[in-house]
Amino acid sequence: MATTAPDYDKWYDPPKGDNELARITDTVIRVTEVSRPPVGWYIAFAIAVTMLGILGMSIGWLFWTGIGVWGNMHPVVWAWDITNFVFWVGIGHAGTLISAILFLLRQSWRTAINRAAEAMTIFAVMCALIFPGIHIGRPWLPYWMLPIPNQMNMWPQFRSPLDWDVFAVSTYFTVSLLFWYVGLIPDLASIRDRSTTTVRRLVYGLFAMGWRGSSRQWHRYERAYLILAALSTPLVLSVHSVVSFDFATSQLPGWHTTIFPPYFVAGAIFSGFAMVVTLLVPARQFFGLKNIIEIHHLEAMNKVIVATSLMVGYSYGMEFFIAWYSGSPYEGFAFVNRAFGPYYWAYWTMISCNVIFPQLFWFKKIRTSLLGMMIICILVNVGMWFERFVIIVTSLHRDFVPSAWGYYIPTKWDFLTLTGSFGLFFTLFLLFCRYLPMVAVAEVKGQHSNSHAGH
Amino acid sequence: MSAPKHVEPVGEAPLHGLLAEYDSPETLKKAAEKIRNAGFKNWDTFTPFPVHGIDQAMGIRPTILPWLILGGGMTGCALALGFQWWANGVDYPFLISGKPYWSVPANIPITFELTVLFSALTAVFGMLGLNKLPQPAHPLDLSERFSRSTDDHFYLLVQASDPVFDEKETGTLLETSGAIGVEAIPEDVKSESHVPRGLQYALLIITAAATIPFALSAYARESKMTHTRFDIVPDMDFQQKFKAQRENTFFADKRADRPQIEGTIAYGELNEDDHFYRGKVNGVFARTFPAQVPIDEQTIARGQQRFGIYCTPCHGQAGEGDGMVNQRASALAEGTWVPPSNLNDDRLRQMGVGEIFNTITNGVRNMPAYGPQIPTADRWAIILYVRAIQRSHKAAVADLSAEERASLK
Amino acid sequence: MRRAKLNMAHDNHVQLDDNIQIGSEATDFGKKAFGIGGVALVLALVLGGGPFGREFLIAYLVAFMYSLAIGLGLLWFVTIQHLTNAKWSVVVRRVAEIIAANMSVLAVLSLFLIVPALMGNSTLYAWVDPAKVAADRVLKHKAGYLNIPFFAIRCVVYFGFWWLLSRHFLKRSVEQDTSGKAEINTKLQTLAAPSMIAFALTLTFATIDFVMSLDPGFFSTIFGVYYFGGAVACAYSFLALSLMWLQGKGRLLNSVNREHYHDLGKMMFAFGVVFWSYIAFSQFMLIWYGDVPEETHWFHDRFQGDWKIVSGALLACHFVIPFFGLLSRYVKRNRKTLAFWAFWILVIEYVDLYWLVMPTFGEDVIPSVLSLLVHLLAWVGVGGLFIGAAASRTKGLNLIPTKDPRLAASLAFENP
Repeated sequence: MATTAPDYDKWYDPPKGDNELARITDTVIRVTEVSRPPVGWYIAFAIAVTMLGILGMSIGWLFWTGIGVWGNMHPVVWAWDITNFVFWVGIGHAGTLISAILFLLRQSWRTAINRAAEAMTIFAVMCALIFPGIHIGRPWLPYWMLPIPNQMNMWPQFRSPLDWDVFAVSTYFTVSLLFWYVGLIPDLASIRDRSTTTVRRLVYGLFAMGWRGSSRQWHRYERAYLILAALSTPLVLSVHSVVSFDFATSQLPGWHTTIFPPYFVAGAIFSGFAMVVTLLVPARQFFGLKNIIEIHHLEAMNKVIVATSLMVGYSYGMEFFIAWYSGSPYEGFAFVNRAFGPYYWAYWTMISCNVIFPQLFWFKKIRTSLLGMMIICILVNVGMWFERFVIIVTSLHRDFVPSAWGYYIPTKWDFLTLTGSFGLFFTLFLLFCRYLPMVAVAEVKGQHSNSHAGH
Repeated sequence: MSAPKHVEPVGEAPLHGLLAEYDSPETLKKAAEKIRNAGFKNWDTFTPFPVHGIDQAMGIRPTILPWLILGGGMTGCALALGFQWWANGVDYPFLISGKPYWSVPANIPITFELTVLFSALTAVFGMLGLNKLPQPAHPLDLSERFSRSTDDHFYLLVQASDPVFDEKETGTLLETSGAIGVEAIPEDVKSESHVPRGLQYALLIITAAATIPFALSAYARESKMTHTRFDIVPDMDFQQKFKAQRENTFFADKRADRPQIEGTIAYGELNEDDHFYRGKVNGVFARTFPAQVPIDEQTIARGQQRFGIYCTPCHGQAGEGDGMVNQRASALAEGTWVPPSNLNDDRLRQMGVGEIFNTITNGVRNMPAYGPQIPTADRWAIILYVRAIQRSHKAAVADLSAEERASLK
Repeated sequence: MRRAKLNMAHDNHVQLDDNIQIGSEATDFGKKAFGIGGVALVLALVLGGGPFGREFLIAYLVAFMYSLAIGLGLLWFVTIQHLTNAKWSVVVRRVAEIIAANMSVLAVLSLFLIVPALMGNSTLYAWVDPAKVAADRVLKHKAGYLNIPFFAIRCVVYFGFWWLLSRHFLKRSVEQDTSGKAEINTKLQTLAAPSMIAFALTLTFATIDFVMSLDPGFFSTIFGVYYFGGAVACAYSFLALSLMWLQGKGRLLNSVNREHYHDLGKMMFAFGVVFWSYIAFSQFMLIWYGDVPEETHWFHDRFQGDWKIVSGALLACHFVIPFFGLLSRYVKRNRKTLAFWAFWILVIEYVDLYWLVMPTFGEDVIPSVLSLLVHLLAWVGVGGLFIGAAASRTKGLNLIPTKDPRLAASLAFENP
């Protein structure tokens, strides 16, 4: 009996269409039109959902029993919870950078990757927002951080960086979501117009808002998009700066240093780009998008990775130098302790993964090698997680008075919660790949047309 | 063009307009210029992506959206700054690590975020509003040809409602503009033009329901609770530990706070010397200073300094009981105030130094115990100084030195 | 008045129909600038108490850091255009290269600051005086870095690197005018990457050495970045004004158009207003919030007495006013308005550097008319010499890299 070939096989066939524009549309949208995704997607989704379940379980147990299930203890009162928060927020920033800042800098190579990057931003920020929410000990009270009139006549402490975080990260989430959605509207319209079933047409049509591509509407759309990009740029700089303020406004050696805002932003861009590369290398392979997301796009991202690696390295160097220069024995000790104290293994992991390995991207062969970039980018993410860990834990575990020193050891619930957060991220990302266009179709078509037309 | 307009209905529906299809952005732009130059106003082009140069070709005027966004942003900025000032500085001011009530540097981050948030919300909803989106129905949806508008073809629609529109002439104009096809688009008479009833009701209910949380919040704010709160996490609210001043049935006296065991002494606090540590000799208040206290100028100077720190708020600089605390309490005139003693009274002149020591250490009447704050040696120094004050209030000329006598003259 | 015409078909380069050489007009202007600068500098020396005089040294430091900012900012501009293979800026890059190449002049001018320090004159830098160092715990600690021999070596490294790099960029670019080789761009792009690293480090440590060490107790990891933001702002503003001056003399009229000015304006906005304010706010707010006396005294000095007004003026004039001023795209595309804001930024950057240096010496904002005069004379002096050198360097050079393969894209560049 002849079996019909699964329709995801056609992802590897040339796309339908008698002109390049039609082929671009078909390449991307046919991925969302298959009735069944490949087995690989199901397997990945099963793993991701399991990890999501682990997250749910970890959070449930945490809420029921309390923060004591984690390893947090004086003096290390912030540990994996905040490390994970900053880690995920940092990863989110690449999406906005690719969308907004590269748009402002007129880098047309962004159009192949910005949709996936923006989606990644939103999912990463969702993962990030979990951690401050669950780490507060009385998780039924986070609304106290918002200015809601209450019977105690109290208002939030607006002078606290932790409250700034609430506003910054929620603004970032909202604006990123809106920016992503606005970008999606024309592509959802494309899906709607290709729909063969009523349900599909109605669902995609609802979210497409009735977009038909009117030039008068495009005019306002373009202005809004440009201004959103112009707003998102300072927004992304401000969000990670506000996150860095959580530390820098304190007086702790290793935390209280003025370079934190731009240093954190550079680090965020660094880890975010690495995550985008890590996601796109397999995605373009499995979803047949190699002709749209090309090696030169990945190469450009790797160049940004090496540039931001150097910025991060510069910041490490400056902190170290000024720690000595300041003459403060606490500052000096903090940095010597980082390198040679009980957490030296974390520090050197951080240095090698963040500063040393990315330098391999100076070599074109490695920059354009899919395996090479996967390895280095995963190492970069590991290194950036360790950077946040080093900053938080080493500064806390030995601060001013030796009688207050301690050593932090994570518990299994710390591990499970971090693992679970990856589950949330990948679940959402896999759903995105399945149901939404992974490439900004209208933008790629526009760029193709405008660059071929000349003037 | 004063000839009467001729508009044929298409089937049973009136004509909405004429649609021309193009396969390249360049031909579309040229056609757009033609249509613009012909004086049409109610027309539009449709493209799968924004075509570079189409705005100029069509004569689209710049949108006011940027100004709206600026307004939105400024609103957010003012709101954020104003609210933070009012909430933390006026309505419920509190000091936090010495920062001023209205700490502008600390308010900047939230102000910035809200400026961006309001700007972005204005940008998105302003854009949707100005674009009249969502637009669920449009006559073009009925055209098969038009479905490629989001794919790879370009379209131009001239509406019949335009004053310059004439079906034949406009049709010819379009056909000669480089179009690969021209189609008459009927009005959409079959689709509903209103939002379905059911959906209207649903939206109404949802909007009404959305006000409930605010109403509850306002009620909670104004009402007083008549019952104790409910406990979501019992083991947090009722922790397995003993708190101060609570009951513990394990002990016979049922107190959770345990008193010191009789006879316990901390290291270094044996304090056997009754005279020095308790001002008593043989169980009676001493009338002499203990041997450890040198009676000299240095001790008096120390006593003066310590007196100035601990005693003057109530007893005043000259020990007359006229310190600031007394002045303010007396000014309140509440009738409950017991004024501090005048240290120069006969009663206190005759009081033994040991008894004074006991008063300082353990307090008396309104005066709290100063023993915990003032080290023992300092307490004796203060007493020496008090004696000096008392002496100075009833000094005889014979007590003065020669120079001092001379200066009085 | 020479017009340059290149045949397109022949060597695949763009047809440039424009006046791209400046000739004697620039060199005459250069001589005048040199003259005025020289006279002003001599006057500053005389009125400021000679080369070791306190008034002179303080004023000279501010003036020198100002011209250095323009030079370094333009050097950064050239490097980053090469690094990113930018197309829009080709038309304006040569002018930037020419001005930046005057690092040699700045190196010589730096001797007024370096030599007194090497000779142990501690008017500016307390750490050059061994007696002061021995008496101060903080200086003693920093003596491993803040000492004369190491300082001398560092200065050689800074100015040597900047001189060699700026000269190299100009030389290769000019070479491309004749040879037309496209590989020059690739080679310069490859050079630009490590150069950027070295640039970041040299600029940071130069700022620490010349400005931050004035107050040896103070330290801030972001200080180099702060100076960098201001320097880039000055550079873009100065570049815009230079191009307008050249166009006023009838050059580059067909090549540099409002699209390029728009981009320069965007950069002035991005660096001079947004980036500078972000860095300044970060530095201020973190030090204010932490309230650690080792750091706060630096800001205290800048809020004493009348300095409060200058600080407020910096906030208003470096951020608030130019933010709204440069926001509109029409302002950036109009030569007159852009020139206004370019001047504005250049002036406020001087105020910023004044604010960085002066309060450390415990002076009033304007201690005396004489002091103000010495400051202005030093500013004009150093600036005049720098501008004079830049103008003279244009001799015989094309004002546009005529055979840069990206030139066509640059000429046709349009802002969306």
